[in-house]
Amino acid sequence: MVAMGTIVWLSSELMFFAGLFAIYFTIRAVRVDLWAEKTADLNVKFASINTLILVVSSVWCQLGVWKAEHGQSHRTGGLLDIRNWGMREWYVLTYVFGAMFVSGQVWEYANLVKEGTTLSSDVYGSVFYLATGFHALHVTGGLVAFLLIIGRTFTTRHYSHNQAIGAVVTSYYWHFVDVVWIALWATIYLLK
Amino acid sequence: MKIEYRMFAVLGVFFACAGLLYGLWGHWREPVGAVGLFLATLLAFMIAFYAWFTGKRMGPRPDDDEAGEIDQFEGDYGFFAPYSWWPLFLGSSAALCFLGLAVGWWLFIIGSSFGVVALVGWTFEYFKGEHAL
Repeated sequence: MVAMGTIVWLSSELMFFAGLFAIYFTIRAVRVDLWAEKTADLNVKFASINTLILVVSSVWCQLGVWKAEHGQSHRTGGLLDIRNWGMREWYVLTYVFGAMFVSGQVWEYANLVKEGTTLSSDVYGSVFYLATGFHALHVTGGLVAFLLIIGRTFTTRHYSHNQAIGAVVTSYYWHFVDVVWIALWATIYLLK
Repeated sequence: MKIEYRMFAVLGVFFACAGLLYGLWGHWREPVGAVGLFLATLLAFMIAFYAWFTGKRMGPRPDDDEAGEIDQFEGDYGFFAPYSWWPLFLGSSAALCFLGLAVGWWLFIIGSSFGVVALVGWTFEYFKGEHAL
């Protein structure tokens, strides 16, 4: 029930991003000159590495989900005994990688602002910051969700079915945000 | 889940055809409609795929059976909160945050500190104490 509801909600989130993509393509179609000038400032290499970090975080998240589905909320061995890690350890690792991604975004914003592209400088800036900014807000929301899900594992002695469902649907959200970013990255940095 | 995934799959095919027709008719000069329609295709297929996938994992349900009876579908559906004040609290905090965007950041900070309490309260409401889920 919770899982199905999450998927329906995520499909509506997809339409939210559809709006952002539509804005991007429309304005790009009418301001080809501005795009040629502004996309030269983009650091494609940095953004690609940042994308890779987010994709890898999705892998860690999925490894955590498999642990949650097997009812293993925390590690049974030492900290370096990765094979016996539980959902909690994998989700902390996912959190670290997700936080690295957001920090990378902030660094990139700082560089672009330094080069004179801001939210109100021109229409390219508006579209760029709206699309990537709303995505970054989603990633940040996901990070908060990971903290809450990790926190929930401490409230009971045994890892319950409902706690595991919470972990699974959070991973749905995380994978969704990851896929949206791949589309955004391809649109903004590859197509230019 | 057969009916569910078929319904959404049909919807997806419809949106895909509509997007293609829209694009070809307008010679792909107007991108908003095409992007919107193709992403609406994904919206429908996303739900269709999940319903199909869940159906495959769960096996047939009583309502997939032509001769099924209503009473075959009794039992647990999942957990539903009997009542909760937290959504109201969280909604008010969010409203305060948005008001803060218009009035000043100081109000946003006050609103977000209420929001943190409300969010934690809501998330943990039924996950703590003697009857934790």
